[in-house]
This record gives sequence, C-alpha cells and structure tokens, in this order.
Amino acid sequence: MIERLTRIALWIDERVYISKLFAATAGHSVPRTSGSWFYVFGSGTLVCFMIQIVTGICLALVYVPSASEAYSSLEYLNYQQQLGWFLRAMHNWGSNFMVAIMLAHLIQVFLFGAFKYPREMTWISGVVLLLCTLGMAFTGQVLRFDQDAYWGLGIGAAMAGRVPLMGPAIVHMMLGGPIIAGETLSRFFTLHVFVIPGTIIAIVSLHLRLVLTKGINDYPVPGKLVNKETYIEEYEEELKKDGVPFFPKAISKDMIFSGLVLLGIVGCAAYFGPAGPRGVPDPSLINTAPKPDFFFLWLYGVLSLMPDYLETVLMLTAPFIVIGILFAVPFISNTGEKSPRRRPLAVLSVLFIFIVLGVFNYLGTFAPWSPHMEAWTSAATPVNYLEGRSPLERQGALVFHNKQCVNCHSLGGAGGLRGPTLDNVATRLTGDQLVRQVIQGSGNMPAYGKNLNPSEVTALVAFMRTLHSPTESPARDSTRSEQAAAEKTPAKALAQTGEMQE
Amino acid sequence: MKRFKIGFFVAGVLMISFLTGCTTRLPGQPTEAERWRAPTDVTDFSQLYAQNCAGCHGVGGRLGAALPLNDPLYLSFVTDEALRTAISKGRPGTNMPAFSQQVGGSLTDQQIELVITGMRRQWSRPDELKGVELPSYSVNGIATSNSPKSATVNDYSVNPSQTSDAQRGAVAYQTYCAGCHGVNGAGGTAGSIVDPYFLNLVSNQGLRTTVVVGRSDLGKPDWRSNVPGHPMSSQEIDDVVAWVAMHRQTAEATSVTATEGTRAVSLQAK
Ligand code: HEC
Ligand code: HEC
Ligand code: HEC
Repeated sequence: MIERLTRIALWIDERVYISKLFAATAGHSVPRTSGSWFYVFGSGTLVCFMIQIVTGICLALVYVPSASEAYSSLEYLNYQQQLGWFLRAMHNWGSNFMVAIMLAHLIQVFLFGAFKYPREMTWISGVVLLLCTLGMAFTGQVLRFDQDAYWGLGIGAAMAGRVPLMGPAIVHMMLGGPIIAGETLSRFFTLHVFVIPGTIIAIVSLHLRLVLTKGINDYPVPGKLVNKETYIEEYEEELKKDGVPFFPKAISKDMIFSGLVLLGIVGCAAYFGPAGPRGVPDPSLINTAPKPDFFFLWLYGVLSLMPDYLETVLMLTAPFIVIGILFAVPFISNTGEKSPRRRPLAVLSVLFIFIVLGVFNYLGTFAPWSPHMEAWTSAATPVNYLEGRSPLERQGALVFHNKQCVNCHSLGGAGGLRGPTLDNVATRLTGDQLVRQVIQGSGNMPAYGKNLNPSEVTALVAFMRTLHSPTESPARDSTRSEQAAAEKTPAKALAQTGEMQE
Repeated sequence: MKRFKIGFFVAGVLMISFLTGCTTRLPGQPTEAERWRAPTDVTDFSQLYAQNCAGCHGVGGRLGAALPLNDPLYLSFVTDEALRTAISKGRPGTNMPAFSQQVGGSLTDQQIELVITGMRRQWSRPDELKGVELPSYSVNGIATSNSPKSATVNDYSVNPSQTSDAQRGAVAYQTYCAGCHGVNGAGGTAGSIVDPYFLNLVSNQGLRTTVVVGRSDLGKPDWRSNVPGHPMSSQEIDDVVAWVAMHRQTAEATSVTATEGTRAVSLQAK
C-alpha cells in the first residue's frame, strides 16, 4: 500500500518537480542573521493578502455589484446572514492590517538598505505592490457604495477633472459616465476583483522569485559596505559558512508573527466589527459625515493648506513626484553602508515623513474638505452660555443655531471644528470686528451679509460679545471713547464700515 | 507534541462554537440600533427631538435659548393644531424654522405627528393642572400663525388683535412687569424686553406664550404669579402684549434698518 502511494508520488514528482521546487524555495539556505524579528513584515503582509483573498471570495458569493443592490447585499450580510458581519469585518480589518504591515515592511527594508545592489528590482516590484494595495483599499471602499464611497469618489473625480484638456475624459473613463452610477460600480468591481488582485499575484510571484534568486538581505553590519564587484561573492561565502535552511529554521519567527497577525485581525473584527455601510448614497442628503480610511486622511490636510494658485499644479504633479521618488530610491544610492546607524539621513527622512504625515493627518480632521465635518445642528448651546443673558442675547444664540454657525464653530466643546472655537471670541474681537466678520466672512468662512437681516446681526453680535470668561473683559476698540462705543449698536457700526469702504 | 495538537484542536472547536453560538454576542456585531436609517425613517421621539429641536429648545426640553417645550403648563396651554402649525410652517421672521418637507424642512408629516404625540406623552401632566382655567392660546382663539398673515408677524403696524389696547397695556405693564423688567421695560433684573432688535425676532404669539406660561426654567413667572395671588385677566394679557409689541415701531429701528440693509448689500457687492 505504502509502496504504491510512494510510487504515485514519485510519478507526479518526476513530472512536476515538486521536490525540486521545495528545495529551491523552503529549503534554500539564508544567512543566519536574517532570521531576525525585523524580517517578519514581508511574510506578514503576504498572510494578510491571503486572508483578503479567502474572505473576498466569500464576500463575492453574496455581494451584488449593481447600484440598486450593492448596499442591500451588505445590509443582508450585516443583519441577516449568520456571521456575515464577521466576514465583512475580517475583510475590512485584513485590509487595514495589510496596509499597516506593508508600510512597516517598507520602512524596515529602507532602513536596512535592503534595496541596494543587487536587489533594486525587488524594491521596485515592492513599490508596485504598495500602489496596488492602496488601489485595492480605495476600490474596496467604493464597493461599499454608501455615502462614504460616494464622497470619496466625488473628490477623486474632482481631482481628476482638473487635468488640463483631458480632465473630463478621464472623469468619464473613471466613472463610466458623467456621474457616479451603476457603471461606476461595475468598473470598480472589475478593478477590485480581477485586475488589481491579478496584478498583485503576478507581481508577488516576481517579488518572491527575486527574494529567492537574489537572497534575503543579510542583517546590516555597520562598516560592511556594499560593493558591486564583491557583494555577491561575499554573500555566497556567508551562506556557505553560516547559512541555515529557510525551513524550518528561519521561518519560525515568520510563523509566530503571522499567527499574531491573524489573531489581531480576528480580534479587531470581533471587537470593532465591520465598517458601515453608512447610508445609501443620496446626493440630496446634505447632513452626512463621511469618514475615509485613516491612510487617506492626511491628503485632506495637505489639500486644505495649499494656497489656491498651487492647488491644481500640486494636486496633479505631487503624486507622480512622490511615486517617482519611491521608484528612484535604489538608484539614488545603491552601494555603500547598509546599517541605519551609519545612514543618519535615511533615518531622519523616515522620521520627517512620519511627523509630516502625522501632522497632516491631524489637520485633515479639520480641513474644509474634511470627512469629519459632522452636522452639528443638534448640538445645544451650553446652558452656562445662556445663564443671565438678556432676551436679545438669547435670540443671538438662536440665530447662531438657525444659521448653522455651529456646524463650523464650537461652543463649550460641542460644534464643528472648521472655524476657531468661539468660547472666548469676545476677548479677541470688538463688536465692530464681529459685525464685519459675520457680514463679510474671511478665509474659509462664508459671508453672511445677504443671509442675515440687521436684527439678526445685532442679536448675533450681542450674543458673541458675552462669550468671555468671567475674569476677562471683552475686547475694546481703543480708537474710540468707551462712551461712544457703548452707545453704538453693532448695526450702526456696520453702517460705518460701509462708509469707510466707499 | 501530541498534547499540543489536541490543545489546538480544542481551541479551534471552542473558537468556532463561540463564533457561531447563538447565545454570545460579540461586541463588533452590528446591532439593529446602529443600522443606518434615512433621516425620514426615524420614528423615535427622543431621537427626533434631540436631532431637530434640542439645539434651540434645550436638551430634554428645558434651559435652551428658546422657550422650554418640556413644560406641563405650556403643553396644556397650546393646542395640537397650534403645535402642528408652528412646527411644520415655523414662525416666519423668527428663529423658529419650518420643518415640514412641503416648505423645504426635513421632517415628514408623520414625523411631525410623532413629535407632537411624543411631547404630550413624555412631558404633559394634565392632572396637575386640573381646575386651572387657562387663557386661550391665541388672541382670537385661532392660532395666529395659521393665517396667511403669519408672514406679517414682523409687520410692526399690525396690532395683536383689534380688542387689545397698548395704552391700557402700559398700565398693566406697570402693575405686573415693571418689578422685574424696569419701569420702561428696558432693564431691571431681567434684561430689556423692548429692544426693537429683540422684538423684530419674536412673533406676537411668541410674546403671548411667554407672558402666559412664563419661563419656568429661567425663573420667569406665569400669568398667575407676576403679582402673587393676582392673576392677569385675559384682557390684560392682550393689552400687555400689544404694549410690548408696539416698541417694534418706535425708536429709529426701522430707519436704521433700512439704511443698514443697503449698506450690507453694498458691502457684499465689493
Ligand atoms: C463653513 C464654515 C463656517 C461657518 C458656517 C461659519 N464660520 Fe465663522 N469662521 C469660519 C472660519 C474658517 C473662520 C476663520 C476665518 C479666517 O481664517 O479668516 C471663521 C471665523 C469666525 C470668527 C472670527 C473668530 C476669531 O477668533 O477670529 C467669528 C466671530 C465667526 N467666524 C462667526 C461666525 C458666525 C456668527 C457664523 C454664523 C452666522 C459663522 N461664523 C459661520 C468658518 C465658518
Ligand atoms: C433654530 C432654533 C429652533 C429650532 C431648531 C426649533 N425651534 Fe421651535 N421655536 C424657536 C423659536 C425662536 C420660537 C419662538 C418663535 C416666536 O417668537 O414665536 C419657537 C417656537 C416654537 C413653538 C411655538 C411656541 C408657542 O409660541 O406656542 C413650538 C411648538 C416649537 N417651537 C416647537 C419646536 C419643535 C418641535 C422643534 C423641533 C422639531 C423646534 N421647535 C425647533 C426656535 C427653534
Ligand atoms: C418675577 C420677575 C418677572 C416678572 C414679574 C416678569 N418677568 Fe418677564 N422675565 C423674567 C425673567 C427672569 C426672564 C428671563 C430672563 C431674562 O430675560 O433675563 C423674563 C423674560 C421675559 C421676556 C423675554 C422672553 C424671551 O423670549 O427671551 C419677555 C418678553 C418678558 N419677560 C415679558 C414680561 C412681561 C410682559 C411681564 C409682565 C406681564 C413680565 N415679563 C413679568 C422675569 C419676570
């Protein structure tokens, strides 16, 4: 019996070379130093990708890629199908983990100089994989086809539309028509399920083949320089002297890390659950608060800080420049020191990029295009801001609500963050300045001149003049005697501003 | 090694039964309450109130900038019809927005009914007010803002009613109100109620409601207790409202308003 099985196995092996494949892959030897905890992120990313494939196939069994049914098929998964929500959550968290671990891998490879000779192609294929993964994250979010998707696509289309001459054509191609519709969904479905995953599988094969043929990077040692003439010889020498088979020696840490990743994804999925779907897309619903995934948030910070005249140019060129730099890394410096201890510039640039992205992510929360632009109309004016106020001042608080100032300005911590908080605005601005601000607006604040009658302006300003802590006194106009200032109603001051302008 | 494998097996079985078990509910599983609903599908009174009204009428219906709706006296005073009109059509010229979808608001007729029944169910205390004879809600017994004239709440020449008399109101004012609002209404302990800018933003019906039910949350007495033991008569209420409303047309409010309007526009144009 056993003999017969063995014979069958040998017959197959003779024709498909399984044992050779094994020897060449799992069995090949790697430098002992590369069995390090720093070297686990690559395989971690691959594990995430496999989880995505499995959960993605399961999702595709239920998901209907049509504009009318996509949303309800997700609701079916969330609320009807046994554990359907868990499947969605796994796919969602698998995606988050994949991006995060992939970034860790990128940083490790960069800091350890693993992109240097002779592994340039490994790095380049890795950059392609990074772009594909971000593409998967974006197209995946679109497949949810809820308000977030609508909004993300809308911004994407707005950016693409700015390309000179080609803009409208590009938008048309991206959306499959002039507007976001069923055709758009079909396109993104095809991309998310066939095109990009296919590309990823192909490039991962290349990536892994390069890792095998060029060898895993040896752990960088300060002072050990990469020299094109001698590097390969040295590497083989080291393998002979101190190599270990990848399986089972070096792989053990990868296995443990992959296990942790899996646990992390299952844990997050079970605890935090799936994302959305957040509301059927309906352009007529204005009170929506879309939330993009964290790795796109910094983009809004950047966009909001850019001066207007630079916006279009930067928006269209910056992505290409950044991607170009990523591709160029192995050509900028591909010999010499590998150890991060001897490459202060590399370490500093990673730190710098981290800080910059962190700051932009933070700013992105407040950006005018910000996803966290919640509709705050339901936030009540804090009770202590109404205590002891006069009837006119109370009316001002009502105008503040009625005209939705509260969507951009917070009072007592409740309210939007696009404009400054007005808790202490009376100590910063005089009555006249407040009038002018409201009538004329400034920066990202709309002008309300046409939408407020004089009584409303007067009430609003009277209310804002009470916004200071009891110990501080409100700001005064020093060019005017107090008496006169007290007499002037804001509305008269407004009339004066008008005169000054004329 | 063998024990290790058995351990794995047991853990796996436990995990699967844990996940599929009908009894356990993992924290990540979306609940029906978290399910997104179109704003027009919301039927829960608390949610409707919190999202649409709390901003102005206060969390829980009290201590907002606008009058408290969580006030048994007010709810006995106001008719369902008046509530419906005020909520669906708003009070033009004031800060009370129209909520009916017919006029660009965000609530369906059904939701407006839910708000009304919800307020009555949660905040009414009809037993406490048994035997109290309340003044009629509106001057003519009809909700004033119901008539097409409602657009003219800020038409300062219109008196609240034909039967009221600002002259008599001045006298009633001295009796009932001057103690808190000052001899001429412009101050005292409780802030000016004759400021034309303030009056331009409130309707006569709003004033009447304030005078009759007071503001229990701000310590403003209702019509019975301005002067303890001496409730205001129906006529006195009409007259006082007329007297307060009269101040809209006094002062230079109107003229200043006119010039300012044009200034604001010319500012805009630049
Ligand atoms: C779309 C968002 C938005 C809305 C709505 C909005 N504001 Fe602003 N507001 C801003 C921004 C942004 C600034 C900062 C302006 C600048 O940078 O010049 C600002 C500034 C101000 C300032 C000056 C604050 C300071 O400390 O200098 C005041 C006062 C103010 N707004 C009042 C109002 C009032 C009153 C309303 C309602 C009638 C209102 N805002 C509506 C966004 C908004
Ligand atoms: C933007 C502020 C604002 C919001 C939001 C608001 N109100 Fe009002 N409401 C007012 C003001 C101001 C008045 C008084 C108007 C007047 O002078 O007659 C008022 C008056 C009313 C009245 C009539 C009071 C009377 O005189 O009998 C009712 C009833 C009412 N509101 C109910 C509601 C309900 C219910 C909601 C939520 C669906 C709501 N309001 C939302 C500001 C608001
Ligand atoms: C016991 C004192 C007291 C008396 C008497 C009194 N009020 Fe008031 N009134 C208040 C207080 C307190 C407020 C609310 C706080 C504030 O405006 O400073 C108020 C507020 C008002 C308001 C503004 C309500 C709003 O919407 O902001 C009006 C109008 C008013 N009173 C009219 C009257 C009239 C008319 C009378 C006489 C019939 C009267 N009050 C008698 C204490 C009083």
